[in-house]
Amino acid sequence: MKPFDFYAPSTVEETLALLDQYQNSVALIAGGTDLTLELNERKASPAVVIDLKPVRELDYIRVENGRFRIGSMTTHASLAGNEMIRQHVRLLHDATRQVGSPQIRNLGTIGGNIAQSSVAGDGLAACVALNADVTLRSVRGERTMNINDFLTGEGVQKRNSLAADELLTEISFPVPDPKHTATAFYKLAKRKSLAISVIAGCLVVTVDDDGICTAASMRAGALGRYPMRFEGAEAYLVGKKLTYNTMLETLPMMHDQVLEANRSRPWSVFYKKEGVQGVFKKLFADVLGQLGLEEVQA
Amino acid sequence: MNKITVHCTVNHKPVVVETEPNKRLLDLLREDLGLTSVKEGCSEGECGACTVIFNGDPVTSCCMLAGQAEGADIITLEGISVDGKPDLVQQAYMESGAVQCGFCIPGMILVTEALLAKNPNPTREEAKQALSGNLCRCTGYTKIVDAVLLAAEKMRGEASR
Repeated sequence: MKPFDFYAPSTVEETLALLDQYQNSVALIAGGTDLTLELNERKASPAVVIDLKPVRELDYIRVENGRFRIGSMTTHASLAGNEMIRQHVRLLHDATRQVGSPQIRNLGTIGGNIAQSSVAGDGLAACVALNADVTLRSVRGERTMNINDFLTGEGVQKRNSLAADELLTEISFPVPDPKHTATAFYKLAKRKSLAISVIAGCLVVTVDDDGICTAASMRAGALGRYPMRFEGAEAYLVGKKLTYNTMLETLPMMHDQVLEANRSRPWSVFYKKEGVQGVFKKLFADVLGQLGLEEVQA
Repeated sequence: MNKITVHCTVNHKPVVVETEPNKRLLDLLREDLGLTSVKEGCSEGECGACTVIFNGDPVTSCCMLAGQAEGADIITLEGISVDGKPDLVQQAYMESGAVQCGFCIPGMILVTEALLAKNPNPTREEAKQALSGNLCRCTGYTKIVDAVLLAAEKMRGEASR
């Protein structure tokens, strides 16, 4: 590890002041499950490392005005163990409970997962499917943006919109109405534990009282730079009665989209065009069961 | 680079140590404090050999920096034994024949301790889930899971052995 100075501020204010002071020479450590390894392997060599663990005010899960508000330093273990999240946002529960290993989930944070913007970030994919907002703060002020707008390479790390002096402080999204909205996550990976997602399928569907689909969010991580959106499939479902057979009709669209997106990739990733269909069959069965519309074995 | 002073509790004793910030918690424990039960395996959080109990929860100490130990309560295998004798979990590992080369065992035992502190009566599935971040490359997990369940029985005072 190359030398660096270490700071452990205990408030957001102090953190923002340090970020402003050191700007481009800073690395922030949230859970550390990526950064510590990068430092150790000398892939990262910041002059200053700021530990966010002592910033307790960024560790919370609250419901306010019909929205979930999650502090960026909330660990995967806290999210996976939260009863409100489990009941209302199965997608985020199932995504966070499968990250890495128990030890990794005790360290890793949802904010770190989003700020890192890894191709295979499961928490990121889940928040994208939930159409979450993210809040960024700096000494210059605060801005809240949709996570889709956040995921552009214009920021300091070319991964997202975070500027050199900014801190990701909060993730928020509406509390889904359990009678009409179901969310689901399915991780395709090479093993059960300590696995990196090969496909991280995310599905959010909303139906009206007659079972007609009024909104659909179909996303999958690890298929492109950012979680892939299946817009054609989403549009196909909206306005139709939500049944397993109707949902299966979207699979050829997903197949073609994954094939198209991965044309320039090695042949070894071409199985993903088949894999995405298996993943979404599981998700379709899951949401139909949750909404009490249909019992399907996928 | 400025040195840092870390104040923490390690194995039930207060510790103050001056060290370099560009070190992992793993290195602080092994090199500065001489706690060599904390093993370095994969160095990337995948094998669990470097697991310690950090404020009650198992974490991989290769994924943390030394400075992050400030104010923490850390338990390593050295802090488990009672008056220099194996505790119930360690006894259960021995009696179950769960140990082969032993390299993964400090991590396995600490995960077991953390599990049983929260869940004194785990199912086999819960035990496997708790151990899912710890790899054994000698043999397998059957006897290790047996040991966790035996340890739970012992701690509940039910073991006949």
